[in-house]
Amino acid sequence: MSDEKLKATTKKRGNRLGLWFFKISLKLFGLAGAYGLLYFVCSYYLVFDRVTFSVCMAYINRRYPDHSFLRKIYYVYKLFINQGKNLIDRYYIISGQGEFEIEDECNERLNSLFNNPQKGCILLLTHVGNWQAIMPSFSKLIKKPVYLLMRPEDNAALKDMLDIDSEREGIKIISPAGYLGGVVELTHALGQGHIVSIMGDRTYGSDSVEAYFLGQKAHFPYAAFRIAAATGCPVVILFSARVSNKKYRVFYPSIIQPQYSGTQDKRKDIEGWIQEFAQNLEDYAAEYPFQWFVLEDIWAEERKQ
Amino acid sequence: MSDNKTKELIEIREKLKIMLVENLSLEDINPDDIKTDEPLFGEGLGLDSLDAVEIVVMLQRNFGLEVKDMNKGKEIFYSIDTLADYVYENTKNKS
Repeated sequence: MSDEKLKATTKKRGNRLGLWFFKISLKLFGLAGAYGLLYFVCSYYLVFDRVTFSVCMAYINRRYPDHSFLRKIYYVYKLFINQGKNLIDRYYIISGQGEFEIEDECNERLNSLFNNPQKGCILLLTHVGNWQAIMPSFSKLIKKPVYLLMRPEDNAALKDMLDIDSEREGIKIISPAGYLGGVVELTHALGQGHIVSIMGDRTYGSDSVEAYFLGQKAHFPYAAFRIAAATGCPVVILFSARVSNKKYRVFYPSIIQPQYSGTQDKRKDIEGWIQEFAQNLEDYAAEYPFQWFVLEDIWAEERKQ
Repeated sequence: MSDNKTKELIEIREKLKIMLVENLSLEDINPDDIKTDEPLFGEGLGLDSLDAVEIVVMLQRNFGLEVKDMNKGKEIFYSIDTLADYVYENTKNKS
């Protein structure tokens, strides 16, 4: 992946003064007031943040190939607005100003997987919906800690405001920046019957496998599936979606039990699992087209193989 | 070092080399080609962090050993020699 494309996912957006305005608006005028500010701020980003515009357009071009260019620009603007709403919602929850209703579709089978003391489980998350907002509620629901494998937040202002990558009740962080990408800790956690959450979309320039997504071959990271195949743990795909101004939906479209066939190249097996995940993601994009915050051109050719 | 320990360490190293080739699908590499003192990750054998998961699981399944301490992990996973030392010391303590 080019440095420019990588920057889109790690770029610092928002400074302390800008975030202060959002905090004050939220305090004085509630969620609607803070959301209102977004329409101005996102207009600025739409014009000047070319890198983010381009990676969002890569998605919109494939999701709405037949729409006019002007409509596509409007769709990118909608993505920017929705991402802003996500950040405000997270701050609203973390700062204790209120809560959202979380409709979690966890069922008996999932409950028994999550609470199996002998074997852990990998929760595959994606930058769609608002996984950060629903994670505290998920952890409470399953009554055990969730280990998150996640990169440290680069933007100090955002990190302070949203308490990103800080451990709190029920959430423990494993940093991939450590020796061997934190695999010793996460393998140990899985062995203890814990749940380890891994992101399944952004590759951050690392090795990836291809799968068809929105009509073309796209690149996905495959760490979750390799870890699952090695440890014998299932992969549960978790998606969240903002369904109204006060409600999030949490659902689990697939449970994949990765096991190498032994008859073919292991990479082929991995591609099969990734394709199943990509299909789930495509179904998600059909139902919630404007909750796509992957911020990476996953169809781009130039990347490590 | 006693003859017994030397012999056991050689056996463990050979076992580990075979396991690595089998578990990590290193088709182009013969176990005998792996130098026991070369780094496993990065330069050297060129393994990556996901290969480390397979090694952690391999130690658990074949030797009943669990690496919990990240700081120790850096020393243990350095080379076949360091892995073999870890297996020897810890299986000896168990028996």
